[in-house]
Amino acid sequence: MNFSIMLDKEKCKGCTNCMRRCPTQAIRLIDEKAFINNSKCIHCGECIKICPYDAYTPESIEWNEEMNYSPYKCKIAIISTPTYGQFPKGTSICNVQNSIKKLGFDFVYDASWSAELVSKAINRKINEVKDIRPFISTNCPATVRLIKSRYPSLMDNLIYIKEPMVIGAMLARERAKSIFNLKDEEIGVFYISPCPAKLLAVTDPIGDYHSSVDWVIPLNTIFGDLYREIKKDDISCSYPALNGLRWGVAGGQSESANLTNYISVHGMENIIHILDEIENGNLNNVDYVEALACVEGCVGGSFNVVNPYIAKNNIEYIIKNAGDNFNIEDLDKFDEMYDSGIFKFKLKAEDNPIKFNMKEAVIKNEKIMEINALLPGLDCGSCGAPTCYAHAEDVYNNQAELYDCIVLRAKNK
Amino acid sequence: MTDKLLIRYSYNIAANDFIAAGKGSSSIKNTLKSMGIDASTIRRIAIISYEAEINLVIHSYGGMLHCDLYENKIDIITEDKGPGIENIDLALTEGYSTATESVRELGFGAGMGLPNMKKYSDDFDIASSREGTFIKITVLLQEV
Repeated sequence: MNFSIMLDKEKCKGCTNCMRRCPTQAIRLIDEKAFINNSKCIHCGECIKICPYDAYTPESIEWNEEMNYSPYKCKIAIISTPTYGQFPKGTSICNVQNSIKKLGFDFVYDASWSAELVSKAINRKINEVKDIRPFISTNCPATVRLIKSRYPSLMDNLIYIKEPMVIGAMLARERAKSIFNLKDEEIGVFYISPCPAKLLAVTDPIGDYHSSVDWVIPLNTIFGDLYREIKKDDISCSYPALNGLRWGVAGGQSESANLTNYISVHGMENIIHILDEIENGNLNNVDYVEALACVEGCVGGSFNVVNPYIAKNNIEYIIKNAGDNFNIEDLDKFDEMYDSGIFKFKLKAEDNPIKFNMKEAVIKNEKIMEINALLPGLDCGSCGAPTCYAHAEDVYNNQAELYDCIVLRAKNK
Repeated sequence: MTDKLLIRYSYNIAANDFIAAGKGSSSIKNTLKSMGIDASTIRRIAIISYEAEINLVIHSYGGMLHCDLYENKIDIITEDKGPGIENIDLALTEGYSTATESVRELGFGAGMGLPNMKKYSDDFDIASSREGTFIKITVLLQEV
């Protein structure tokens, strides 16, 4: 599966909205069209959300073909926690699950079940390891990549506990193997995703493990099919775990993990402020920072259908009114699983760092600052770079011309 | 080789300005990051320069925050216009603070400023009189 955020050049008007919004400055305008530098992209989906012309689309449609022609003898859908929040209040959970099954899946696994287990693992690790504070959640792949590119000094603070998607896929796969007596390659695991970052987490995990997920399905691409099916009556299903379901909403993983001293921060700009505080040493007395790239957490992901606040309200309604309709899976096996180490992971080995030379770095920085001093400092984006400083860097790297700046051009006329 | 100053970045820090507080150290951090200095050095400089700047804001009548880059080390230097530290040994004790109640209400003044600056440094120099305080904190660059 090869995934990237695709741009429809016909729809793109070169308006600079996405370029200014991008938290890693991965976007430039070239010939009045947006261009994403994939090596800088963290797949947070901000560009998809802000584009006024809907020019961005997730390129992950091949799963459809894979479903129809696949060699899989058993197909499993993992239901992400924000999914139920997309449907009108009062929609039966079983209706949603069964309509997902009808897309062609043999069974569904609810991510809230693995979320419940992961919550316990987070709690356990925080209580066991006291000399790292604060721990930072590794659930949001966009946040983890933001830290990797802009806050590398905080990599040691990451908790390195696998996300519910990964644990869920692993457990669902094991279950299919034992029930149907199948081999690994005969099982296809499809994750129904609220955001593009999960796609990246599958194709290129930061950890030294192979993700058990085979395909990622953007939630919005199947929503219509689900919604049409939902009106029909269905009988029974396996209900989600209620604490695990909270993972769909910001603060949910900390609550689910039974933590009291935590910070729940969401939205890229807010995260950047909190990461600065951690870097300055101001949050060493906090146990856990749950940092989620999207506003209000995963319900704010760009593959969701309804407004994040409405989805949050819907999920809270489900939790409050669940009564006896909930289900916890594998909790009795938690200790055994934790001790076997399945929750933990290590960073994938990286290439050796380039040898740093202060003298060269200072000279380079001075040259960029000299170019920057020529620019007007308006950060207007008209040159095709998000800020004047970014333009100065591009000019230094021979990726742009100084006079791409329209203010400079106007002055020199 | 090691003692040749390559460049100095300087920031004027005003007393009691809690709105601008942190901007100087943040600028130092971002400059060093864009230069490509290793993560653990960044972390140490981030903590040291932030604490140094906040100290100027809380305790001094205003002063300068400098970041001096050498081939093998980084110095963070503060120079202020007073009123000076009465007892340096006490000021270097964890948890000891002379910050006022109103400053503590803002979340500052926990008495960890100087101790933390010293803890993360390779070399720590301090001199103080009523006319002002001079602090120089050295972080050696790691051999890659």
